[in-house]
Amino acid sequence: MINFLFLVTLLIYLAAGIFQTLSLALGNRTEASVIRPAIERIAFWCTIIGFVFLTVFIALWWLQQGHFPMTHWTDSTAFFAWAITLIYLLIVRLTHLRTLGSFVMPVAFIAILISYSFATHTAALPEPLQNYWLLAHTTLIFLAYAAFIAAFGFGLMYLITERKIRQKTDALFDNLLPSLGISDELGYRCTILGVILLTMGVIVGSLWTQYIRDVPWRWLDAKVISTLVTWFIYVAQIGIRQLWGWHGRRAAYAAIIGFVAVLCTYVGVDLFLDSMHTYR
Amino acid sequence: MNHIVSIGTSHHVAPIEIRERLAFSEEQLIESHQSLRELDQVQEAVILSTCNRVEVYAVLNSVRTAETAVKILAEFLSRCHQIDMESLKKWTYLHHNLETIQHLFRVTSSLDSMIVGESQILGQVKDAYDTSRSVGSTGPILNRLFAKAFSVGKRIRSETTITTGAVSISYAAVELAKKIFNTLEGKTVAIIGAGEMSELTAKHLVANGVSNVIVANRTYERAVKVAEKFDGTPLAYDSDLSFLIDADIVISSTNAPDYLIKRQPLVNIMRKRKHRYMFLIDIAVPRDIEPEVGKLDSAFLYNIDDLEVVVASNLKDRQHEAIRAEQIVSEEAKRFYDQLQIFQVNPTIKALHQQFQQIADTELQACFYKTTFSDQQEKAIASMTQAIVKKLLHHPMQNLRCAVNDGDADHGQYVQALQELFALDVNDE
Repeated sequence: MINFLFLVTLLIYLAAGIFQTLSLALGNRTEASVIRPAIERIAFWCTIIGFVFLTVFIALWWLQQGHFPMTHWTDSTAFFAWAITLIYLLIVRLTHLRTLGSFVMPVAFIAILISYSFATHTAALPEPLQNYWLLAHTTLIFLAYAAFIAAFGFGLMYLITERKIRQKTDALFDNLLPSLGISDELGYRCTILGVILLTMGVIVGSLWTQYIRDVPWRWLDAKVISTLVTWFIYVAQIGIRQLWGWHGRRAAYAAIIGFVAVLCTYVGVDLFLDSMHTYR
Repeated sequence: MNHIVSIGTSHHVAPIEIRERLAFSEEQLIESHQSLRELDQVQEAVILSTCNRVEVYAVLNSVRTAETAVKILAEFLSRCHQIDMESLKKWTYLHHNLETIQHLFRVTSSLDSMIVGESQILGQVKDAYDTSRSVGSTGPILNRLFAKAFSVGKRIRSETTITTGAVSISYAAVELAKKIFNTLEGKTVAIIGAGEMSELTAKHLVANGVSNVIVANRTYERAVKVAEKFDGTPLAYDSDLSFLIDADIVISSTNAPDYLIKRQPLVNIMRKRKHRYMFLIDIAVPRDIEPEVGKLDSAFLYNIDDLEVVVASNLKDRQHEAIRAEQIVSEEAKRFYDQLQIFQVNPTIKALHQQFQQIADTELQACFYKTTFSDQQEKAIASMTQAIVKKLLHHPMQNLRCAVNDGDADHGQYVQALQELFALDVNDE
C-alpha cells in the first residue's frame, strides 16, 4: 500500500517535471499561446498533488518506522524532495514565478527516484538519536538545501535570459523567464534564506551534541567540515555582493558553485568519506 | 426599433489635417454630448477622440431606416466641426448595428490601430466611455456594448499574442529595458546628442516609469531645450562622461565621427556605480559606442540594427496572430448582436404576454361573477383560458424569436408592428 502510494507520487512528480519543462520550452511562442497556459496549470497542479501525496507518504513512513525517518537514503532523499517542493511552493505563493519549477522540480523528481529505488530498505536508528533534535536539525538543514537549490534555479534562469539578451536574437521575448533584475534579486534572497536556515541547523546540531550520550562524536567529521565549507561559500557570496556589488552573472555562477557544494556535502561525503552523518 | 450607428474617421481613411479638424477637445466633448442628446432620436451616445481616430457611437430610436439614422449622426458631426457633408462623406466611415459592434470590438482589440496590438487604445476607449457615462449619455445598450467591447479586448490580449513583442524601435527599447531591470520605476535615462529618435525613445521610457532624464549635448542651449520636455537635467559635455554614473539607460545619437563611449572609461564608471546594470542604446550612424562595451559584465549594448531585428520578427508574428484575433472578434460581435436583439425584443414579448394575461383574467373574473360554477368547473375553465392564451401567443412568439436568431432584418418591423397593433406600452429598460 505504502509502496503503491510512493509509486504514484513518483509518477506525479515525473509529470510535474515534464509538463513544467514543456511549458518553459514552448515559451511565449505564438503557436502555443492557447496550449501553454493549460500545460503550466497541469504542471502546477501536479506539483501540489504530488506534494500532498509525498507528505502523506512521509507521515505513513514515519508511523511505520516508529521514529522520524532519517536514517536511510530512502528517508533522506524523500525528505529532500519534500523540502524542495515546499520552498518552491512558497516562492510561487509569494512571487507567482512558476517558471522556477522547470529548474527545481526535475531535481525533486530525481531525489524521489533515488528514494523510490531504495524504498524497501530501512535502517535502525540508535535509541539515543531518537528525539526532536533530529527532527529540528535535519528539517532546518534540508530547507536550507532547498533554498540553495531555488537560488541555483534562479541563477540558471538569469544566465539563460542574459545569454538571450546578449545574443540579440528575436527569440528574446519568446521566453517566459523573468527579467534579469528579478532573477538576480530572488536568487540573492533565496541565498540569504538558505544561509539563515543552514546556520540555525548547524547551531541546533552542535547543541544536540551536548546531549548525546553513548554515541561516539567527533568534531572533525567529514560532513561537518563540508557543511562549513558550503556555509562559507554562501556567506562569502553575500559579503562580496554587499561590499563590491558583485551580482548578476557572477552571483549566478556562485549559486551554481554553491549548488555543487551542497551536492558534495549531501551526497559526496556519504559516498566517498567516512562520516557519522552517513545514510545507510 | 433601435439602431446602433457609428460614424468615424481614422488614420486609415483620413490624413492628419482632417483628423485634426474633426477631433473633439475636452471642453468640446461635454458640449457635444449635450447637443447630441438634444436630438430627439438619439437615445445614447459615446464620443471617442484620440490622435488617430474620432468616432461617435450612438443608439437612435424612432428612425425608420439605417440610412436616416446614419445621416442624423453625419449631420451632427458636420454641424459640430463646420465641415460640409460632401467632404465628410469622403473622409469618414459609417457603420450600422452588427457592423458598429464589430468595428468597436476591432478598435478595442487594437486590430484597427496603426500599430496592430498597441496597448493604449483600450484605455483610451475606456476613458471616452467613462466621460460619456459621467455626463449621462450612455444607456442600457451602449453600457452593454462597451462592457462587452472591453472584455473582448482583454480576451484578444490574453488569447492571442498580438500585444506581445515589440514592433517599433522605441518600443523594443522599452521592452528590452524591462527584460533587464524588470521595472523602470526610479531609473535614470541619459540622452546623449538629442535627436528625434532618441527623444521618442526617452518619451516611451518616461511613460513606462523612468523618473529621471539627463540630456547631454555639446551645446548647452540645445540640451536645455530638450530637457524641458521631460523635466530633465540639461548638461553640456565634452569628454567627461561622469554623468553616466547615475544613468541606468543610455541613449546615444550624436553625429560624432568616432566612438564617444569607450570600454576603458566605462569600466571605471561601472565600478563607481557598483556594477548596477547599464542598458546602452546606440542609435547613431556611425556608431557612438565601442562594441567592446557590450562585453562588460553589467552592460548591455544594442545598436540600431540589433533593435531592428527584434522589431521585424515581431511584426511578422503579429500579422499572423491578427488573423486569429479577427475571427474571435467576428464571433463575439455576432453573438453579442444576437443577444442584444433578444434583449431588445424581450420587453415587447413580455408586454404582449401581460396584455393577453390581463384580458383573460378580467374576462374570467367577470364570467365567474355572473354565473356560479362549482370549484371543479372554475378550475377547468381557468386552465382552458390559460391554454388558449398560450396557444394564441405560441406562433407569433416563436416566429419572432426565430427571426431574431436568424438575423432576419425584418424583426424590427415585426416588433414595431406588434407594438402598434396591440397598442403595447414598452419601455426599453
